[in-house]
Amino acid sequence: MKDNVPIIELKNVSKTFGGVVRALDSVSIAIYKNEVVGVVGENGAGKSTLMKILAGVFPPDSGEWYYTGQKLTFPKNPKEAVERGVAIVYQEKGVVPALKVYQYLFLGHEDKYSEFFRLKTNEMKKYADEMLKEFHIDCDIENFMYELSPSTQKMIEIAKAILSLRLEYGSDNTASVVILDEPTAPLTVEERQDLFNYILKMKKATSFVLVSHIMHEVLEFTDRVYVLRDGKLVAHYNLSEDKITENDLFKAIVGKEFVEELHATQTGRNVGDEVVLVAKNLTKKGSYYDVSFELRKGECIGIFGPAGSGKSEIIKTIAGILHFDKGVLAVKGEEAKSGELPHVRLTKGVGYFCGRTEEQLFFNWSVRKNISIVNMEKILRKPLPVINFNTEKQVTEKIMQKFRIKTPSVDTDCQSLSGGNKQKLSVGRWFERRPDILLLEDPTIGIDVGAREDIYEAVLEMKNEGVSMVLVSDDPKEYSTLCDKIIFMKSGRVEKVLNALEFKEAIVT
Amino acid sequence: MVRSTIFRGSQQNMATIVSVIAAIAIISTFQIINPSFLSPQGRISLVYAMSYFLIAACGLTMVIMMGSFDFSVVSLLKLAALICVLYIDDIGLLVIPLALLVCTGFGFINGLLFARFKVPSFLATLGMSLVAEGLALYLSKGFLYMITNRTFRALSVTFIGGLPSIFYWGLGVWAVSIFVAFYTPFGRHLYAIGGNPTAASLCGVDVVKTRINAFMLSGFLAGLAGVLYMAQFGGGSIEMGADMSIPLFASVVAGGTSLAGGTGGPHRTLLGVILITWTQAGMSMLAMGNDRQLVIFALIAIGMSVLTTNRKSASIVK
Repeated sequence: MKDNVPIIELKNVSKTFGGVVRALDSVSIAIYKNEVVGVVGENGAGKSTLMKILAGVFPPDSGEWYYTGQKLTFPKNPKEAVERGVAIVYQEKGVVPALKVYQYLFLGHEDKYSEFFRLKTNEMKKYADEMLKEFHIDCDIENFMYELSPSTQKMIEIAKAILSLRLEYGSDNTASVVILDEPTAPLTVEERQDLFNYILKMKKATSFVLVSHIMHEVLEFTDRVYVLRDGKLVAHYNLSEDKITENDLFKAIVGKEFVEELHATQTGRNVGDEVVLVAKNLTKKGSYYDVSFELRKGECIGIFGPAGSGKSEIIKTIAGILHFDKGVLAVKGEEAKSGELPHVRLTKGVGYFCGRTEEQLFFNWSVRKNISIVNMEKILRKPLPVINFNTEKQVTEKIMQKFRIKTPSVDTDCQSLSGGNKQKLSVGRWFERRPDILLLEDPTIGIDVGAREDIYEAVLEMKNEGVSMVLVSDDPKEYSTLCDKIIFMKSGRVEKVLNALEFKEAIVT
Repeated sequence: MVRSTIFRGSQQNMATIVSVIAAIAIISTFQIINPSFLSPQGRISLVYAMSYFLIAACGLTMVIMMGSFDFSVVSLLKLAALICVLYIDDIGLLVIPLALLVCTGFGFINGLLFARFKVPSFLATLGMSLVAEGLALYLSKGFLYMITNRTFRALSVTFIGGLPSIFYWGLGVWAVSIFVAFYTPFGRHLYAIGGNPTAASLCGVDVVKTRINAFMLSGFLAGLAGVLYMAQFGGGSIEMGADMSIPLFASVVAGGTSLAGGTGGPHRTLLGVILITWTQAGMSMLAMGNDRQLVIFALIAIGMSVLTTNRKSASIVK
């Protein structure tokens, strides 16, 4: 069934950044026709670097590239990679919301469909329509991208990658590779299933490389899995032959045993009597209605529901990012009015942490400054409003050690950190700050199991020391790990309130 | 490995190195063409040309660091200078706090319009600059005024160590600006807002207040520059400093503070100011016309921007 010669084979690829961090160390992988290859590993393990080398973003320091058995040089830019049959779909949304579906599909390839500066719109539309039919994508070419659901947008992105391969590389050639970098990160559980069914259908047209942190996805939908750790290839499984469980994969990735389950038993403890946050009949028209709850000291309340249930809007309202129309919100007995900005809420003791680091971090700043901006009070030479650089450095080093953030120094640019390290940095500064109430929105979105454990540990440590929390996430497991009480939301209204045990049963059945 | 580290380091300091090289190139060119450029008399001219400019530029740098614009600096400078010359005979040296207060007030309104009422900063400050200009014209009626108060003039023209006192004012303001930018939470917050306003707010930065404060600071320094300008020249009309706006922005950008915000700082601005004002002074010493001077300023500003932008990290520019 499989051709014996791989389409693309990389041999002994190494890459070093900035003379210090060895991102890849002599890694070899092969991709055969019509298969889905998984690439897993912690953040910083070298997955992204490897994918970027495949996609032609930058060449490696050393290594060899074979195309169907022939030795070629590495592609120097993404366009060259596409001409050799490799296209990439990035994790961050690359869609242009203001374009129509067919316009977006042909974005960047208009030169193939134009004569004398005039676009051959009808032909483009016809081809786009054929593609949507071929791949069974449920939308119209005249739809605007912003009208589509996130999963359909992702499918269109994948279709666009295949289209670019067909246009630039050869229309009937199925010896091509599409790299999917965390395709399911922004999707809900149902949408994820849709996307994978679709990918399995598309296997006939091209091969896929799937980079993902969600292990059951990898085990269920890929043919082979490569495991990277610290820039080295540590394991390779052929899933049709090897019997691999989630725990085996976890061990290979992290190099230690699975401990996440341990945390789940801690829930319910250390919850005090003091009420720190009260929401009473909180209403934001169009988002949520009549939401009431009380949060106690050291308690973690989860707000659970499908996308669009209002959970994200509620947590953003508490953070001060969104306004509310009706109801009362009180922090430690003091009323918090609608329209108060996040920094006012923070002075009242409400911190907001979100897993999407681009909203939280200053990428052009060093690690040191990113940590101290939240902890300004601690690093001043009191009573003068002057920053003490030594204290600042000490605080940063403490957090870097605690969270095992791997960087050359405290002055390393935040931009150059891997996704997981960015997220740990982002949590770490709240860990130092210790607000009375910490709001967590998708705290572990898009990061690997190792970093996730570190974050859970830190969050639970804060909780045990009396920090109250509100959690909103897409991962049911996260609720059972962290929460004492879970509020079920359905289309903007509270449906029921469960404790941690009841929640587990409700989710399992 | 060593080489790559050096290369990385040099990339970060690219802006500074380019500015230093450009400044040295310009100074030596003028010195070769005009041997009296760096003579004691020439030095005094250069210092006079740069000092008030540096003070105004430091204020502007704070605003640009924050990712905003302040087009009212030159108008406020003129207004402050005219307030001094118009009322010094009536209220004496009290004109100084008066001028500073008026300019800080204008800065406050700029900040309020921008931060609270969300008027884009270039529009708000451009509007307020016309208000200031109009007020200055109304007060001065377009006439030329001279100052006779010796104490007032001594502010700028007392000679210490062979250089006029306005030079030390400039250096002092520059040093304080650097201190504020690097060693205080306010400075840190300016960079934060310039880099990522959403994140800044979530990290507990009072974005509205910081923005207003930055505009007030810019207004205050424009006023201070105006007061010292008047003390230096001893007189003036609404016509003074007419085309200073472009060189002012050029000096901040040439120093290496990006208009996108979040980078650079007042430490960089000194080089930009030297580059711009000394070129201007050098060209004036050579009796070059205003027409050619304008073109050269614009080319320096654009050229420095091209040389100092780190295109690797800069994403799409609008």
